[in-house]
Amino acid sequence: MSETASPSSRENLLDVSGVTVTFGGIVALDGLSFAIKPGQICGLIGPNGAGKTTMFNVVSRIYQPSSGSVVFDGKDLLSVPAHEIAHLGIARTFQNLALFPTMSLLENVMVGAHSQGKIGFVRSILRIGAARENRELRDWSGDLLTQLGLGPLMFRPAMGLPFGTLKRLEIARALAARPRFLLMDEPAAGLTHAEVDELGDTVVSIREQFDLTVLLVEHHMSMVMKISDHVVAMEFGRKISEGTPSFVQNDPKVVQAYLGVDA
Amino acid sequence: MVKVNQGSPQHWALRTLGVALIALVVVWVPTQMSTSRIGQFSDAFVLIIAAMSLNLVLGFTGQISIGHSAFFGIGGYTAAILIKDHGWSPGYTFYAAAVIAFVVGCLIALPALRIKGIYLALVTLAVAVLFPTLVKWKKLAWLTDGAKGIDSVRYDEIPVWPILGELKGRDGRAVFAYWLAFVLLVITYLVCRGLVKSRFGRSLVAIRDNETAAAVMGVNLTVTKVLVFGASAALCALAGVLSTLRTGVITPEGQYVTLLGSIVFLLIMVVGGAGTLWGPIVGGLVYVWLDNTTRGFGSESDGVIGFLFGWSDQSPATLILGLALVIIMFAAPYGLVGLIKRLWAKVVIVVPKPAGTSLPTTGH
Ligand SMILES: Nc1ncnc2c1ncn2[C@@H]1O[C@H](COP(=O)(O)OP(=O)(O)O)[C@@H](O)[C@H]1O
Ligand SMILES: [Mg+2]
Repeated sequence: MSETASPSSRENLLDVSGVTVTFGGIVALDGLSFAIKPGQICGLIGPNGAGKTTMFNVVSRIYQPSSGSVVFDGKDLLSVPAHEIAHLGIARTFQNLALFPTMSLLENVMVGAHSQGKIGFVRSILRIGAARENRELRDWSGDLLTQLGLGPLMFRPAMGLPFGTLKRLEIARALAARPRFLLMDEPAAGLTHAEVDELGDTVVSIREQFDLTVLLVEHHMSMVMKISDHVVAMEFGRKISEGTPSFVQNDPKVVQAYLGVDA
Repeated sequence: MVKVNQGSPQHWALRTLGVALIALVVVWVPTQMSTSRIGQFSDAFVLIIAAMSLNLVLGFTGQISIGHSAFFGIGGYTAAILIKDHGWSPGYTFYAAAVIAFVVGCLIALPALRIKGIYLALVTLAVAVLFPTLVKWKKLAWLTDGAKGIDSVRYDEIPVWPILGELKGRDGRAVFAYWLAFVLLVITYLVCRGLVKSRFGRSLVAIRDNETAAAVMGVNLTVTKVLVFGASAALCALAGVLSTLRTGVITPEGQYVTLLGSIVFLLIMVVGGAGTLWGPIVGGLVYVWLDNTTRGFGSESDGVIGFLFGWSDQSPATLILGLALVIIMFAAPYGLVGLIKRLWAKVVIVVPKPAGTSLPTTGH
């Protein structure tokens, strides 16, 4: 795909090295290392409990690793507070949804654009530029919802809508931050076969449109293998394989990890 | 059922009509009603301001506070001390009270950042309980006059506001207090509205709905919570100043300065509709009306009230008030404003302007 240069000729956008995360006795990530190049779609696969979501939470600064480093675009992420991550151009979706249920779809996406706005405490009280910013964020969010096919629902509260719809809302909300780097945690979960194919096309097209680098966690192997430039396979918090989709797919270690697992 | 497009001339006409009706009532009260009624409305305005302030923290941001009576008290005592001991003109004490309460509110919010839910409720409960004890403390008597409190806190002469004409005597004071409370109510409403209908306000609701997601979207939880707590405390202190100027006294056990105040603010907010701009307004008016109506019910009442409560030799006022509030909460789980909105939607539906620059979309 767009990644034609030799691996070493471009700098990595994200560099994860030796990251370890433990919860009590459980080692969720065990010295995990991998890297993503700008513009890539990187698939992250592995059986349930492998530590994929934990990796996302490390990048989001929700979990603090006990050792290792995470460097994004030359910046040490582990010294950045959680709320600064979005400002660096990193956005994500959540595996089990983390939406704002009482807000409308439109408002959800507008909060997604929080890092793009400027109106804070004082200016909102004095109403200096607040109306204008609201209009801009509103239109921007409306456009995103329309693009993801959620336009007709934009004034409905997020609460009570179907899982698949809310998964797409998660994507729209993440894009609202105008990220450079998008992490998607099982975006195709709960979708039908046709919808999964459609989602794959959506991911490829938003990558082009927004000039994104994507880290994609997904259990639908056909989709991951079709759209990824690079795939990292994990098991028990460790990397077990890495390379092109076809290489990883046929790696005996990966096949072994997935034995008995519904892939 | 009529559909009206948001921002259309019909929509503006409806809004203008609404504002005109409210303006009519607001002018009607002090010009046509008895002094005691005017006083009840002023009391309602004070409570509405306090409930609005609590609404920012609890209704919109989801951070429980049972400590707002302390901010109310800080406002009242600031006004009383500055006026009586330092000869301040009452008008300026609003600013001082707001600033002091803002700082105290921010300081109290700092530990509150680490704790949630029931623990936050307990910490703020402690603040509410501590405040009256603190102002009664012997070592602070030089400042607060201990248990007997501070009295005769008032405007020496009723200030002259050109549009009100000349106000004289007890009735004049009541009318002035009414308008002063109304102006502060409008200011408080506008501050809350500005905060809520902005990027800052959306981040408040985001914190309430999903704190982790809010942080991932770039919301600085610490700064946001501290600021909203400070703003809330400042607004609540304004209500305290107003109340003290109206009644002329503030004591450690005074109305709304104790834990009971916090509970009344909470009730008004919940009954009216938490997390809505109009909830505290509707809740405050209903609360004061119910309070004054039920207060008249002695145990010797006849009719239904007498039949139901005749067995008790105490006034059933508090009991009836409590029952009425419980019934309202069952009938309107989203508050009276939620109920009114649902009913109103059967008459008029305001269709929001579609958002976006490209394709027109239809809202349902
Ligand atoms: N907050 C947490 N507390 C305790 N254990 C956790 C927590 N988050 C993840 N884990 C554990 O870490 C391991 C990896 O989980 P996760 O990252 O969710 O896996 P995946 O997303 O690959 O399915 C699992 O054993 C899981 O139980
Ligand atoms: Mg997971």
